[in-house]
Amino acid sequence: MADGHSFNSISLGGRGGTNPGQLRVHSGGILWKKLGGGKAVEVAKANIASLTWMKVPRTHQLGVQTKDGLKDIHHSYDISSLTNFFQSSFAITPEEKQLSISGKNWGEVDLNGNTLAFLVGSKQAFEVSLADVAQTQLQGKNDVLLEFHVDDTAGANEKDSLMEISFHIPNSNTQFVGDESRP
Amino acid sequence: GAADNRGSAKLSGELIAYKSVNDLPPPKDLMIQIDQKNEAILLPIYGTMVPFHVATLKSVSSQQDTNRTCYIRLIFNVPGTPFNDSTSSKFQGSIYVKEVSFRSRDPRHISEVVQLIKTLRRQVTSRESERAERAT
Repeated sequence: MADGHSFNSISLGGRGGTNPGQLRVHSGGILWKKLGGGKAVEVAKANIASLTWMKVPRTHQLGVQTKDGLKDIHHSYDISSLTNFFQSSFAITPEEKQLSISGKNWGEVDLNGNTLAFLVGSKQAFEVSLADVAQTQLQGKNDVLLEFHVDDTAGANEKDSLMEISFHIPNSNTQFVGDESRP
Repeated sequence: GAADNRGSAKLSGELIAYKSVNDLPPPKDLMIQIDQKNEAILLPIYGTMVPFHVATLKSVSSQQDTNRTCYIRLIFNVPGTPFNDSTSSKFQGSIYVKEVSFRSRDPRHISEVVQLIKTLRRQVTSRESERAERAT
């Protein structure tokens, strides 16, 4: 297992904010370890469905979409060597995604496995994992509310944690007609 | 611009918080931030700071429970509400973020955020209505 690269100070993002740690990519997969031990997240090569790059302020963000629909987000600085490595070892070319920065609150909802992405003009504004959704509620005819689990441990390094998001789906929207359980 | 609409709803078609990713303020802690210069509210959603232009916001409120935990609720403009009919016809087929709420451990930070948002909203709304008046 001498192959691969290690990167320090890569943070793992998720529902509870970000955690600093070390990222190791090797021919068998991707491994992230929390700084000072403890939590580790491993994704085997066979389980990687797709990879994405997104430019965020000051840095880049790597998204790992697994076949179970799980989503890990890593912040990284050096993208070209990693991209090469992913291509040669996993035969996966990371797709580039763009972050929506226009500040609009209307767009499209894209459901992909367990992830819900909100897109503004084909750029991504945010993504949430439906695994963290405690409850969905239909409010009135046009609104869908997602309630997130309140988790005290996950929010340890985060001051403000997300509790609820609701989406308004106008009658003119044809994408989700007849699907009343999820937006 | 179009002078037949009123208030902040008029902005909806042309508002842009940021032009480039590099214009976003450097991420500090993951907490709600207000960028006065770019008229944006930045919300921490899944480890990313997500900008919303202040003109998309309808109202903001906060409350505190007995355990000193603070809650903040942001409600955005959606079609079908007064003054917003222009948006509904323009962006047909879109899905809107209507409401976002956060829990916070820092009541002082939350009351500061609410204050900043209210001030910023007032500034933007009065500037836009002035501009609309001048255009007529």
